[in-house]
Amino acid sequence: MDDYRYDNQTVNGFILSAIFWGVIGIVAGLWISVQMWLPSWNVAPYFTFGRLRVFHTNVLAVGLGIGAIFGITYYIVMRLTRVPLFLPKLARFHLYLFNVAMVLVALSLLAGMNQSVEYAELEWPLDVGVVILWVIFAIVVFGTIIKRKEDQMYISLWYVIASIVAVAILYIVNNLAVPADLFKSYQVFAGVNSANVAWWYGHNVVGFLLTTPILAMFYYFLPKSTGIPIYSHRLSIISFWSVVFAYLWTGAHHLVYTPVPDWIQTLAIIFTIFLIAPSWGSVVNGYYTVGSDWSAMRTNYLTKFFLWGITFYGLQTIQGPSQGLRTVSQLIHYTDWVPGHVHMGTMGWVTMTVCASIYYVVPKIYKTEIYSIKVANTHFWLVLIGQLMFSITMWITGIQQGAMWKAVNPDGTLKYTFMETLVPNYPYWQMRTVSGLIFTVGMLFFIYNVLMTMHQGKQRMAGAGV
Amino acid sequence: MSGRIYSKPVAFILMSVLVIAVGTLVTMVIPMLTPQMHPRLEALRVYSPLEMAGKDVYQREGCNNCHTQTVRPLRTEVMRYGEYSKAGEFAFDRPHLWGSKRTGPDLARVGLKYPDMWHYMHFEDPQSIEPQSNMPSYAFLTGNPLDQTSVEGRMKAQGLAYSEAEIAELEGKTEMDALVAYMLYLGHAVPPVVESAEAGEVTMEELGDHEALEHAGEETFEHQCSACHGKTGEGVIGPSLRDKVWLGVEGDIDDKVIFAIITNGTQPGLEYAGRPAKGGMPPFGNALTQKQIWELIAYIRMIQK
Amino acid sequence: MEEDFDNIQEFEAKATAKKLPLGWLMLYIGLIVWGIYYFVQYTPAISGWTQASAYEESLGK
Repeated sequence: MDDYRYDNQTVNGFILSAIFWGVIGIVAGLWISVQMWLPSWNVAPYFTFGRLRVFHTNVLAVGLGIGAIFGITYYIVMRLTRVPLFLPKLARFHLYLFNVAMVLVALSLLAGMNQSVEYAELEWPLDVGVVILWVIFAIVVFGTIIKRKEDQMYISLWYVIASIVAVAILYIVNNLAVPADLFKSYQVFAGVNSANVAWWYGHNVVGFLLTTPILAMFYYFLPKSTGIPIYSHRLSIISFWSVVFAYLWTGAHHLVYTPVPDWIQTLAIIFTIFLIAPSWGSVVNGYYTVGSDWSAMRTNYLTKFFLWGITFYGLQTIQGPSQGLRTVSQLIHYTDWVPGHVHMGTMGWVTMTVCASIYYVVPKIYKTEIYSIKVANTHFWLVLIGQLMFSITMWITGIQQGAMWKAVNPDGTLKYTFMETLVPNYPYWQMRTVSGLIFTVGMLFFIYNVLMTMHQGKQRMAGAGV
Repeated sequence: MSGRIYSKPVAFILMSVLVIAVGTLVTMVIPMLTPQMHPRLEALRVYSPLEMAGKDVYQREGCNNCHTQTVRPLRTEVMRYGEYSKAGEFAFDRPHLWGSKRTGPDLARVGLKYPDMWHYMHFEDPQSIEPQSNMPSYAFLTGNPLDQTSVEGRMKAQGLAYSEAEIAELEGKTEMDALVAYMLYLGHAVPPVVESAEAGEVTMEELGDHEALEHAGEETFEHQCSACHGKTGEGVIGPSLRDKVWLGVEGDIDDKVIFAIITNGTQPGLEYAGRPAKGGMPPFGNALTQKQIWELIAYIRMIQK
Repeated sequence: MEEDFDNIQEFEAKATAKKLPLGWLMLYIGLIVWGIYYFVQYTPAISGWTQASAYEESLGK
C-alpha cells in the first residue's frame, strides 16, 4: 500500500503558503486602491503606487495563484494516477524553494527591480529561479503521470499538462534579456516587436495560469464534491483542444490601435472571439452536469462555489473577447473597465474555485469534516458581493472615462481636459476600496474556516493516537 | 483526435507543444523574422546616457502602470495628445513601454508639451500644478545622484552609442534630472504638424462682442495656459504675458503673430516677427479652435491693460 | 493508512458522453464563420482596409 502522508504534507504546505501570500497580496491591493483617490498614502520610495501595483499583481498571481496551483495539482495528480508523487523529496524542496523565491519576489519589486513587462516584472536572477521552480514542477508531475496505475488520463490531467508546457515556452521566450548587472536587464526584443512578444506572453500566461489549471480543478472537484459525473466527454475534448489551439493567437487584442501590424491585430481579434465557444464548452458542461440534479446547489455548499465560479468564467470569456473588438476597444481600452474585467476573473472565477478546492482538500488530508459550513456560506456571500460591487463600479467608471475622453464640443474641440475626466472617478474608486474590504472580510472567514479545520483534524488525530 | 493519446502522456505532451506552436509561429515568430517588426524612423535619436538613465527611473518607479506611451489613430485622441504613434518610434525601447492603463494621461508626446521647469515642479509636487491630481510625489529623486559607471554599463548592455563627454556630463546630475530629460525626449521623432502661421479664415473682428470673447478666453486660459503662465498671466514657468516682451524681445507684436505662436508653439527653428523661438511652449493648434485662440488673444490683451 | 482512490470511470457520464448541446455547436460553428468574414474585411492584404486609412477617413467626417 502506498503511503501518501508525506506528499499530503507537501500539498498542505503549499495551501498554507498560498493563504499567507494571499493575505499579503490582498492587503497591498487594498492599499493601492486607497492610493487611487488619496495620493498621500504613497510612501516614497518603496510604497508608491507604481511599485505596489506590481507587488500586488505578482504576490497574488504567483504567491496565491501559483502556490495553490502547485499544491492542488499535486493532490489531483496523485488521485488521478493512483500513485504517490514521483520524487517526493523534490516536491518538498519545491515547496521550500517556492517560499524563498516569493520572499525575494516581494522584496525585489518593492526595491524597484522591475523589467516593466506586464506580468513578467521580475528581474533576471528571479526569472532563473522561476524557471527552476517550473522545471521541478514538470518533473514531479510528468514523472508521476508516467508511473501511473490508471491507464486513462482524465480531463484534469490534460489541462495540467498543457499548462506546464505552455507556461514554460511563454516564460522563457518573453524573458530573454541582456543583463547589465545583477539587478537590471534589458529585453532582447525592442519596440513594436517587444510589444507583440510581451502580449503574446501576457495574455497567454493569464490563460495558462489562471484559466487552464483552474479548469483542471473544476473538472476534478465538481464531480468529486457533487458525486455527479461530467456530462459529456466529447464536449470536454473539443473544448480542450480548441482552447489550447486558439489561445496563442490572441495576444495582440491587447494592442488594438497600436502600431503593431493591422493583420496581427485582426487575427488576434478573430481568435479571441472564437474562444467564446470552447470556453463556454466548459461552462455548458458544468451546467449540464449539475443540471442532472439541481438539488446539489442547496444540499452541497461546494457546488455553489464551483457553479458560480464557472459562471464568472463564462461571463469573463464573453466580456473579454468583446473587449477585443475594435469598436469596443476604442471606448474602454486604457480605462478602469479593464481592471473591473480582470478582477471578475481573479476574484470571481479563480479565487472562488481555488477556495472551494481547498475546502475539499484540507478535510481529506486531515481526515475530518469542514469546520463550519455556515462560515463557508458567509465567506461565499461576502466575496460574491465584494467582487460584484468591485467589477460593476469599475465598469461604470470605465465607460464614463472612455466617453469623456472622446467627448467633443459642437465646435469640434475636446469637451474635457484630462483632469476633468479624472476627478469624476474618485467616488467610484472609493467604492472600490469598500468592495475590496468586503471581499477581504470574506477571505478572512475562509482562512479562519481552513485553519480551524486543520486544528480540528490535528486534535482528532491526536485523540485517535494516530 | 485518436482516443489513444489520452493514455500516452509523452505523445500528449508532444501534441500539446505542436498545437501551441501554430499560433505562436504565425503571429509572433514569423513576423519577428521580417523587417515589419523592426522599423526605425530616420528622425528617431538614440537615447543619450542621461535620457536612458531617466527611462530606467521611469521603469523602476513603475510609471507605466498609470501612463501609456502610444497615441491611437483616433480623432479625439490625436486632438488630445498629438499625432498618433508610428511603428518606427520605439526602436530603442527594450522592452516597449506602451502600458495598458491611463490613470494619468498618455506620455508618448509629452516631450513636446511642457518645458523642463514644468516637469521639475510637477514631479516635486504634482498637486501644486494640478490640485486634484492623484499622482504621487517623486521629490526623493532629487536626492539620488546618478552613478556614471552604472549608466555606462547599461548603455553598453543595450548596444547604444554614446560619447565619453556624455558620460562625463552626468557628473552632479540626479535621477530627477534624468527623468526630466527622458520626458523631454518622448515624442521627438514625429514633429508636430506646423499649421500655416497665418491667422486662418476667422478674424477677431468677425467674432463680435469683445467682452464675451474676453470672458470665454479667461476660461480657456485657466485650463490650458495658467499652469505655465500663471493664474492671471503673471508668468511662472513660462514668461509673463502682461508685459510687452515677446520671445525675449521688448516690443509688442501683432495679434496675428500671437495667433501663430499659440497655434504652433515655440519649437526651436521656428521664427515669429523676426524673433527666433527658443522652445518650451507646445503647439495648441490641435487642441483649440481658431475661435478659442482669438478668445485667448482677447483675454491676453485685456490683462495687459 | 487508507486513501480514497479515484475511479476515473465514475468521473464521466456514460449515457451522455458523446453529446454536444445543439445551441453550443451552433455557436461554435457560427463564430468560425464570423471569423472568416472578419478576416476578409479587416486584413489589409485582402480588403485594403488599414488602421491608418480608417483614421484618415474619420477626419473627413
